[in-house]
Amino acid sequence: MQMRTFRKNLWRHAYAWVLIIFTVFPIWIVFTSAFETTGTLVTTSVFPTKPGWSNFTILFNSPDIPFGAWIRNTMIVASLNAIISVLIGAAAAYAFSRLKFKGRKVGIQALLLIQVFPTFLALAAIYVIMGEIYKVFPAFGLGSLGGLLLVYLGGSMGINAWLLKGFIDTIPAELDESARVDGATPMQVYWLIFFPLSAPVLAVVALLSFIGSFNEFIMASVFLTDPQSRTIAVGLQQFVGGQFNQNWGPFAAGSLIASVPLVILFLSLQKFIVGGLTAGSVKG
Amino acid sequence: MYRFVGFRGMPAVLFKFLVLGIIDIVMGIAISSAFAADSTILAWAMIIAIGFINYAYIFRAPTPVKFMAPGIVFLAAFVIVPIVYTVVMSGFKFQTGNIITKPEAITQVLARSVKADPSGAAFDITIGKVGNEYAALMHNQTDGSVSLATTSKTTLLAPGTYTADANGVPTAAPGFTPLTADEIAALGDKITELRFPDGKGKYVAPQYGTLGVLVSQDLTYNAKTDIITSASTGAQYVDNGTGNFANKSNANDFLTPGWRTANFPQNFVNLVTNPEMRDPFIRVFIWTVMFAFLSVFTTFLLGLGLALALDKPMRGRAVYRSILILPYAIPSFMSILVWRGMFNTDFGVINRLLTSMHLISSNVDWFNSTFDARVIVILVNLWLGFPYMYLISSGALQAIPSELKEAASIDGATGLQSLRRITMPLLLEILTPLLISSFAFNFNNFNIIYLLTGGGPREALAGERAGGTDILISYAYQTAISAPNSRDYGLASAISMFMFVIVAGLSMWSIRRSKALEEF
Repeated sequence: MQMRTFRKNLWRHAYAWVLIIFTVFPIWIVFTSAFETTGTLVTTSVFPTKPGWSNFTILFNSPDIPFGAWIRNTMIVASLNAIISVLIGAAAAYAFSRLKFKGRKVGIQALLLIQVFPTFLALAAIYVIMGEIYKVFPAFGLGSLGGLLLVYLGGSMGINAWLLKGFIDTIPAELDESARVDGATPMQVYWLIFFPLSAPVLAVVALLSFIGSFNEFIMASVFLTDPQSRTIAVGLQQFVGGQFNQNWGPFAAGSLIASVPLVILFLSLQKFIVGGLTAGSVKG
Repeated sequence: MYRFVGFRGMPAVLFKFLVLGIIDIVMGIAISSAFAADSTILAWAMIIAIGFINYAYIFRAPTPVKFMAPGIVFLAAFVIVPIVYTVVMSGFKFQTGNIITKPEAITQVLARSVKADPSGAAFDITIGKVGNEYAALMHNQTDGSVSLATTSKTTLLAPGTYTADANGVPTAAPGFTPLTADEIAALGDKITELRFPDGKGKYVAPQYGTLGVLVSQDLTYNAKTDIITSASTGAQYVDNGTGNFANKSNANDFLTPGWRTANFPQNFVNLVTNPEMRDPFIRVFIWTVMFAFLSVFTTFLLGLGLALALDKPMRGRAVYRSILILPYAIPSFMSILVWRGMFNTDFGVINRLLTSMHLISSNVDWFNSTFDARVIVILVNLWLGFPYMYLISSGALQAIPSELKEAASIDGATGLQSLRRITMPLLLEILTPLLISSFAFNFNNFNIIYLLTGGGPREALAGERAGGTDILISYAYQTAISAPNSRDYGLASAISMFMFVIVAGLSMWSIRRSKALEEF
């Protein structure tokens, strides 16, 4: 019986295995490169020929690669952005989801349109604005993490409000309504009823937002020119950029360090994340 | 009747005003320092922002405004203003050679026509003002004469009519107020832009606060007539309407640099009619559509197949699933860089693998051929994108009522028939909006192009701006930012407007379709 079902499912297993090989191939290359100590990209062996930690030690000891600073910068910008942008986005999404007001439909459509504008083509304008800010407040202008954070926050309403609205629509409105009947103002309902209730959902959106800014490359690369102030994305790209062969090993090690926590977070929260992805589609 | 008990009444009001007060004080300090730093625009922007915040929370603004006020402030400052700027710039000639404003351009044109006088004469100077006009007390180091000059005229001073220090450098004269050290420091580089006539057709240009040298200036600008005149040739240069001063009698003889100037709708017209801009644009546009379509098509095909394969409970499904969504969980910029390394000509694992399998005899330079590079872009995007398609397809599969399939099988339909006639149409119905958004996303998928191929292969030396794998967004980026010596921000803005119209149209249509807005 066991054998028969297996044979009936054979094509399913075969399909999955072909894709698994495709999926795992580059990941495996990163693994072997990270632990390979011969220091080149040229490797066709399945396992590192001389396994060791030298790529990791280079990463943390070489003065050319302030990897520790990159991690710190990324953590600061990505977490602050995640927290603040979810606070901003959740309030806006709540208004769009629960409050009835004139211009609501137009508002959310406008948000959508703004969101699909290729913002980074407004880069020159952002550059001018941030240059102006830099003159007065260097900590929040061009080249600073504070400035990068401000720019990221600019997009938070568009991106998060849309995402969060989908989530919020799935939270029953009865509790809000009964609190309203008991005389609570909308603000009180929001902070005292809705916010604690939706905390897990908000945490997931914050995580997505964290991953988003972790991945963001173009703004960060234009903004952060000083090697010390770079994020992981910009730092690793510049580092591996021209000299693939020479810097490949440490790059692989850095990628591994940076990806593992994210992948673990993602896999442990996949149920919620996937729920958010499909909310829009299944609803129709 | 039960009253809602919460954070309300006096404590809540006090708390609100405390928080608002702190924000107001911080912003107040920021605004005053912006004014102090002459950053008027920034100061006014902050005044508007803080005014809006106060209006929202003190003056009983409509409730939705209260919820959205902080988001609106950030959105306006860092998204809407830049977008408006881009839209406006699409109607401007704004390119290398025409970047700055007209007054800045005039200053630079004049500065470029300055030449040090062959005599090398130097002056000890004291900078100050006569009335409201900048002036200088100048001591000619060669002949020892002293004169008082404003920017428009100069008077020789007889000995005894001025005060001099021990070195004979004049420090005071009637009607002349010297600048303090602080005022000189505040002037900064502007000091070197001052010109004091020496009374003989040449000028004294301050090098810094205490020293000036004799220079001759070929070009002079008359603000009233808006004409620049050359002293050596007598030629008159007038504003030619396209951002430069051009010789009245020879339109091809113009002064550089120029300035950015409105030329709507020239950028759009160029995109359609000028072959140098139109041909690469059309080529890039076609590839963009191909790329976005092929990306969606291949990822959806693979992902849907996987969703169907794993649709049944089977051994190992959870493990398969966890492994197969890895590309979605790994930061994409890293995966793209890893793939790029793998396709590296001399050191890449792909070439090594193919060589060891005797499929190729020498290393292939993958990114040097447009066709190969395009295939690689699609392949890498397939790796990155199929997990997402798998996730949404399997979500949609679960949303299709199983009664439908059961009913079909009772009526004698085979598995394939029910897949083709029932599952697929329903699935496509559900997923179309997401496929459209995915198309829109890939239409603007900058990262994969920029990080994988850089838009190349591209004949940069032949002045080619559009590379073989450039899609519109990376082409616009190349045009606006990274093309050396030939940046054209106006054209790039026009291209972005074009992209915006396409993507916004697609998105609106898909939102309408998904009925996400139906409850409004």
